[in-house]
Amino acid sequence: MRSFHRGFRSFRRNYARNIVVVVLLFVCLTFSMSMLAVKLAADNQVNTIKQEVGNYGEIEISSAYQLKQFQAERTKTAAERQAEARSMSTAQEQANRVADLVPETLTDQFAKDNYVKTYDKVLQTNVTLSDITNTSIQQLFQIRQGDSGGPGGTSSNTNSFTFAGNTDGSAASDFTTGAKKLVSGKQFTYSDYQNANPVVVIEKNLASDNKLTVGDTIEAQISGGSGSQSYVQLKVIGIYETVQAQTQSGSSSGGGGGGSSQSFNPTGNTFYAPLSVVQKLNATPGYVQLGSYYFDSVDDTAALKVTFKKETVTTSSKYQFATDLSDYQTIADPLLKARNTSMIGLAGALGACALIILLAMVIIISGRTRELGILKAIGSTDRQVISQFAFEVVCICLVAIILAMGATALIGQSLGNWILPKTTKTATTQTQTQAQGGPPGMTGGPGTQNKLYKEGTSFNAAASTQKTQAAKLNVVYRGPLFLYGILILLGLSLLGMAIPLVWITRLRPARVLSME
Amino acid sequence: MTEQEILIVDDVSKTFQVKAGEVKAVDHASFAARHGSVTTIVGPSGSGKTTLLYVIGSLEKPESGRIEVAGRDILAPGADLVSYRRENIGFVFQFFNLVPTLTALENVMLPMDLDGIPPAEQRRRATELLEKMGVEGRLLKAHPNKMSGGENQRVAIARSLANDPDIILADEPTGNLDTATGRVVVEILTGLARKEGKCVLMVTHDESILEVSDRAFHMTDGILGEIAA
Ligand SMILES: Nc1ncnc2c1ncn2[C@@H]1O[C@H](COP(=O)(O)OP(=O)(O)OP(=O)(O)O)[C@@H](O)[C@H]1O
Ligand SMILES: [Mg+2]
Repeated sequence: MRSFHRGFRSFRRNYARNIVVVVLLFVCLTFSMSMLAVKLAADNQVNTIKQEVGNYGEIEISSAYQLKQFQAERTKTAAERQAEARSMSTAQEQANRVADLVPETLTDQFAKDNYVKTYDKVLQTNVTLSDITNTSIQQLFQIRQGDSGGPGGTSSNTNSFTFAGNTDGSAASDFTTGAKKLVSGKQFTYSDYQNANPVVVIEKNLASDNKLTVGDTIEAQISGGSGSQSYVQLKVIGIYETVQAQTQSGSSSGGGGGGSSQSFNPTGNTFYAPLSVVQKLNATPGYVQLGSYYFDSVDDTAALKVTFKKETVTTSSKYQFATDLSDYQTIADPLLKARNTSMIGLAGALGACALIILLAMVIIISGRTRELGILKAIGSTDRQVISQFAFEVVCICLVAIILAMGATALIGQSLGNWILPKTTKTATTQTQTQAQGGPPGMTGGPGTQNKLYKEGTSFNAAASTQKTQAAKLNVVYRGPLFLYGILILLGLSLLGMAIPLVWITRLRPARVLSME
Repeated sequence: MTEQEILIVDDVSKTFQVKAGEVKAVDHASFAARHGSVTTIVGPSGSGKTTLLYVIGSLEKPESGRIEVAGRDILAPGADLVSYRRENIGFVFQFFNLVPTLTALENVMLPMDLDGIPPAEQRRRATELLEKMGVEGRLLKAHPNKMSGGENQRVAIARSLANDPDIILADEPTGNLDTATGRVVVEILTGLARKEGKCVLMVTHDESILEVSDRAFHMTDGILGEIAA
């Protein structure tokens, strides 16, 4: 019958008193543990989100620069524009061509930053393929003949197709988001890009309409070129199918005609080719539409922005470094708020636990000074008495914490939900205001306002489902919760021991033994 | 049993500081006691009897004097008072002072447990001691609040004997008992001196105890005076 046994005995014998303490502690601990569970769940989910959202950025022409160009262009009449084009020298023409593109020297330099994990370059352009037709698009253009197409939009040509180029076909966002899927042949590779192999991946319906299969060749015209030198033979190496129809909503993209015609093209007449090939076809070697980067974590954003500022200091605001930080914030915000709320709750509840155990120990010890006196009078060392009381405190805390862990498993989720919705609502409203109040989406392919390349060349539903998913908080029991539970148990027991410790070391047995 | 004095109290004084000034609870007290002897102290309330016992039991520290138990100076600086209380002293109180959460048997085992004696040995010796005190059967497993005053005091005496001490200090052991039960308890205590050679020091109001004691003292205002036999 060692000290701990006596402690346990005393815990059992004084059950009525202990039950009151245990119940009080249980309530506060359940609250603490639930708050802790909410916090851990929120942390965990935020970390998961950090790996999916927010760690992406791209270098592109800044929206401010685009807007300026757009306004300058709008004031000109069609005649003025034609006259301008006629009078342009070759050098001017080339300068004009790359005016809204980003030099590769910039995107390459930026890729050297330590935080950058993956790097891709993208160029999307319109290429004339005289032998290829797209029936559905022909019909549509007949209906919309009056629409001359907005500035920066595609020239209305039934033989004009979108060519999307990057450094590795399988990394093209349309394929990584699952919006498009290769059905036969293969994708072009990084070495195809490096060697500028004239290969292309085409759409299934377009292929069957034009009786094309893998291995066939199509002829593409280099932009602005003429003569036999201006044609490139492209070998079809793969055929893809559109899994997810592009869902860009007509109402929100109130921009130019180019954007509108895209939304009327559900099958997608997009061709995927190595970036170097697309650059050749566009006659803009050394220039890309955007550089796309994945970095280690959303937390690197600020550091990368600094790097970008340093590297673009000479070009002022022509280029921008756009990230999906705001997407991350939209998704993570309710979770972070829930986490902060739970932290406050946790602190409060733990404080209450501390108070309860302290008060309980004062009551318990003051009612047992005689017992302390007896133990000391018959030759207990202070340590022996203290370990007995320590065990008693641990018993009380242990029972309370075990019950609290059980209760947390039951109510943790509801408590999590109770904390979360209030914050979700505000976050949703914020997003809506932003979407409505922001400038209209710029036309002309990826990289424009609020729409990053990584989400696919057109906005698709995947991103929005991700948002609703993330706003839910899954409070599940995790290993760390047990660890924290043990820590709380230890902390609480140690605190509870403070009172007996002082009492025991200071007690003079002679004072209590003669009391009736 | 030796003829040597096991307990020597030499010129011990204990003063309490109270608001009204000083209380000389023990005033230059001196006496000695041998193995197998019963010493009784009587005196009015507040005369310092309990204080003297506590000083001997090392629960109070006197400001002057010398106390020697089994050749050990317990007032010497650095004296191991914990083991002194365990091994040399057995206390018996008026209000029994058993641990309420422990059974009779466990209360007797307690001092042995503190001394690190193996549990089986504790149990054996505790049972034996309690049987000697007339506590047997279901009473072994009874808690103090389920036992009579007499039974409580028997358990308390058994506990005081647990570590086979030299001296039993009994502070009004019959004070809370009826006359008949008190007599039995006194018999047990004197028996310990006579049969087992313990040095029994008893504080009492009961003048009849004087008859069974070897030496008797009277205490008034802290001053100890021997009552002639
Ligand atoms: N801790 C203390 N602080 C101050 N005064 C004390 C203390 N303990 C005892 N006294 C005083 O010392 C004196 C002796 O007390 P003590 O308890 O020894 O008397 P007693 O002879 O045992 O009395 P009783 O017969 O009532 O038990 C009393 O005046 C008491 O008030
Ligand atoms: Mg007294």
